[in-house]
Amino acid sequence: MAEVEMKDKIQQLLDESINPAVAGHGGFVQLIDVKENVVYIQMGGGCQGCGMADVTLKAGIERMIMEEVPEVTEVLDTTDHASGNNPYYTPGKS
Amino acid sequence: MPRLLLLIPTTTYRTEAFLEAARGLGVEVVVASERPNTLQDAFPQSLLTLDFQKPDLAAWEAAEFARRYPIDAVVPVDDLTTVVGAAIAEALGLRANSVESARAARNKAVMRGLLSRAGVPGPRHRLVSLDDDPELLARTGPYPSVLKPTILSASRGVIRADNPAQFVAAFRRIETILRTPEIVATGDGARQILVEEFIPGVEVALEGLLVNGKLQLLALFDKPDPLDGPFFEETIYVTPSRHLPAVQSAVADCAARAAHALGLREGPVHAELRVNGDGPWIIEVAGRSIGGLCSRTLRFGTGMSLEELILRHALGMTIPSLERERRPAGVMMIPIPRAGILSEVRGQSEAEAIDGIEEIAITAHPGQTLVPLPEGWQYLGFIFARADSPERVEIALREAHRRLQFVINPSA
Repeated sequence: MAEVEMKDKIQQLLDESINPAVAGHGGFVQLIDVKENVVYIQMGGGCQGCGMADVTLKAGIERMIMEEVPEVTEVLDTTDHASGNNPYYTPGKS
Repeated sequence: MPRLLLLIPTTTYRTEAFLEAARGLGVEVVVASERPNTLQDAFPQSLLTLDFQKPDLAAWEAAEFARRYPIDAVVPVDDLTTVVGAAIAEALGLRANSVESARAARNKAVMRGLLSRAGVPGPRHRLVSLDDDPELLARTGPYPSVLKPTILSASRGVIRADNPAQFVAAFRRIETILRTPEIVATGDGARQILVEEFIPGVEVALEGLLVNGKLQLLALFDKPDPLDGPFFEETIYVTPSRHLPAVQSAVADCAARAAHALGLREGPVHAELRVNGDGPWIIEVAGRSIGGLCSRTLRFGTGMSLEELILRHALGMTIPSLERERRPAGVMMIPIPRAGILSEVRGQSEAEAIDGIEEIAITAHPGQTLVPLPEGWQYLGFIFARADSPERVEIALREAHRRLQFVINPSA
């Protein structure tokens, strides 16, 4: 599949499935790029800096994208999580 | 492909490290948290919600889940999930600590009783209730003493008292913490305060792995900042320890005896000990790995993370090496200096430029309400260093911290 086509499918997935779901926690996910079968995304709103962003990414978003576009080998998060000022979950030591 | 159940509280710092380790091992991960993930409906086979406060119910639900989606290992990533982890492992017939031992390690009063009965060196202690009259309790001390909740971690609510007036003040302050709704919900332990004799000395932290009941020492950290109260804020950890080998050996023996006394047999152990002229004294031993992001200081063999080592053990995989890399390493948990709202962090580039500094992770976010000890339990972030000697590690950490400036505005 060409990268342009991959981008379109992933964007559609974000628009129709992923973003409506993460909006429940005030979050959103943006597609930044697709290069050599690696998808680059950025998380915002409640996802930016969220203590569970990795779970949402690896156990949810990445799997969803890979199911829809099997050529994808990895989804990388390029978010500056340190700058998130309204994360849904904030970590604390235990 | 093996399937691993990770028990990840939504408030933990440990998520990224465990997910990364699982990914590196190529295992299929199921994540259970105490609150639903936004994508759970789309991935019921890999995202699960369990009530961590109800281990029996969670174990039953996990067993039902495992009938449809088999689980090969369960790993609680931090203190909040050790008991429920043991309950799930028992329900699934997986190798793990018993529920009883996990409960003992989570409750400081139960722990202290078991350690005392086993003759493991520790402070004299007594258990008091919020129903007791602190004025009466204060008459009998001992002094100096340390008052602490039985069920909280990260030094939250731990206060030293040198006299009756301080005792009463500490009691009242802990009472206020324990009466917050989220702590009341944790059960009977929220009505108790442990009063311990203060043990003078320096403090160390031991990281270990239990395999068939035998404790393997992974790392021993010195804590160069004095922990003499009135609050007990963790700051700098440096490994390897600068204590004499005989002292280090005595510390490891003491921690192994403590783990055995609690009945812990499998998985990570994190122990806090005091060392003075009478030898090592157990302050606490927990059936979990080091908290926060501190595990980033540890690498084993050819670069294996602590989390990979823990997952390998849980999954019954070969562990290539339990030997920590030779290079000294350390972390500074950046304390919250005062209450307020975090506005800005300055000087990070200047701090990162210091020789030996590997990384500065600011985990508090702009706009976050900051609560210092003893009421709080979070950090502003973590500074990591590696250098040719433990002394240089410590110097780098202190200098980096000095260059960081946290702009904290008063709360509205």
